[in-house]
Amino acid sequence: MHAIRPTDDVAPRPAPQVRVPEPVVVPPERELDEVTLVVRAQEGDVRAFELLARRHQGVLFRVAVRVVGDPADAEDALQEALLDAWRRIAGFQGDSAFSTWMYRIVTNRCLDLLRRRRPVVPVDEIGEDRLVASGLAAPGSRGPEHAAEVDAGMAALRVALARLPDEQRVCWVLRELEGLGYTEIAQITGATGTAVRGRIHRARKELAEVMRSWR
Amino acid sequence: MALDAFPPGLSPEDQIEPLACGRDAADVWDHAADGVPDEHERSCPHCAAAIADARGLDGIVHRMADEVPPPPPSLVDTVMEAVLNTVTAELRPQDLLALYSPAGPARLSRPAAARVLRHVVDRMDGMRARSCRIEQDGLALSVAITVTARFGVDLASVTARVRQMVVAAGKQALGTPVARVDITVVDLWEER
Amino acid sequence: MSVLHVGDRVVARVAARAARAVPGVVALRPDLTQALLGIAGTVFGQERGPLSADGASAVVEGGHAEVSLTVVARLGHNCRDLAAAVQRAVTAEVAAYTGLDVLVRVTIADVLIEGPRSGGP
Repeated sequence: MHAIRPTDDVAPRPAPQVRVPEPVVVPPERELDEVTLVVRAQEGDVRAFELLARRHQGVLFRVAVRVVGDPADAEDALQEALLDAWRRIAGFQGDSAFSTWMYRIVTNRCLDLLRRRRPVVPVDEIGEDRLVASGLAAPGSRGPEHAAEVDAGMAALRVALARLPDEQRVCWVLRELEGLGYTEIAQITGATGTAVRGRIHRARKELAEVMRSWR
Repeated sequence: MALDAFPPGLSPEDQIEPLACGRDAADVWDHAADGVPDEHERSCPHCAAAIADARGLDGIVHRMADEVPPPPPSLVDTVMEAVLNTVTAELRPQDLLALYSPAGPARLSRPAAARVLRHVVDRMDGMRARSCRIEQDGLALSVAITVTARFGVDLASVTARVRQMVVAAGKQALGTPVARVDITVVDLWEER
Repeated sequence: MSVLHVGDRVVARVAARAARAVPGVVALRPDLTQALLGIAGTVFGQERGPLSADGASAVVEGGHAEVSLTVVARLGHNCRDLAAAVQRAVTAEVAAYTGLDVLVRVTIADVLIEGPRSGGP
């Protein structure tokens, strides 16, 4: 019906070749920088937020799986976290990296979920069987023949990880699996740097103790 | 940081007991993990036990870190459905621009209008729109837009063109006159 | 002499159908009222469930109806003209079908730029 036609009374002479484009498929990854996407999302641009979510979902899902210990729970936690992020993004000040801010929202959601789940399934009863059954002890990216020999040890590590206190596990995962520094982990968890160091150390010692028999 | 005896939120469980030789156990572990134990640590039996723990755990932890469970393919789609529902449900009067219509009340979402104007700028060579804020007085719009430009583009001529494009898009795509366009170039980028 | 009474729901359905047929309208979204009533559920570009498929609400009083529509437009269609076209189409269709005099409120909630969903990386 009312398709757009170029008009020539828009701007001073010489009339520019101004045409409003027809809909096009814009590649979603069209190298927009993160600051631009964050600002757009803060101004209510749903599509910019979607791009941010797609860019970060891999890392965030990985963290969530490792913290809550179950892919289905991790999916729930991450979905809730992303919706939180949308509702709260206008308040993101940019005083930390966007990824730090997202890590914080996701780990908080994971901790909420674990607290809700705790009365139903006490940690001590999270056995190896359940982890294996939940797919957590499934082979990783390696071939099955290699997986066979490492999986027993890996399963033991998963069980030991699941039995750590939640705050310790969060800090350990961010440090040892995500490779983050103590300062960033402190920003994410809201704990002091000293507390973060202590938690990570305690987690390391406990895991080393459990894994000693697998060496 | 280590000097804070009892900073807020620090419980006794968060403190690190030093090794028998007096070394900070977490430091020793970090040095071992980074492969840079110092001279004392290499020769001290207490440190050696800590280093053995660190190295013993190192291999399997790396294997765990290498496992990357992919997110479910539908995860973001599901989130975006919920986001769109909240967006529609939460459209407030101040989020809406008035459109001229002889046939009844007509409104346009302000974020949607901003998206259209940003899109027009994005399609210009060497330009990207960042913030786009729109105010309305009567029907006429005032647009404050921030852009980033590729190194080497002529900022004066390109901002003049951004202004033309925004005015044209207001008229043609939105159907509402743009009376004022403030453009700020906030950053430069290089073609990758 | 008999009088035809038409329910809100009938008017809403006729209005939604007429609006969806206007070129440049990609989809309708449940409006504020419907969302607050908890029957929101329309997914962008999709229609799910019998209630959310409407995307229009209507209130009939006497010989008069007020219709509210929230639409998603496609880039390339002038928003002002699109809104007026929806209003005219809905007014005409509701009047023809029910004989009611109609006021149509249109809100364009989004403008689709990408074309059909292109999926993410």
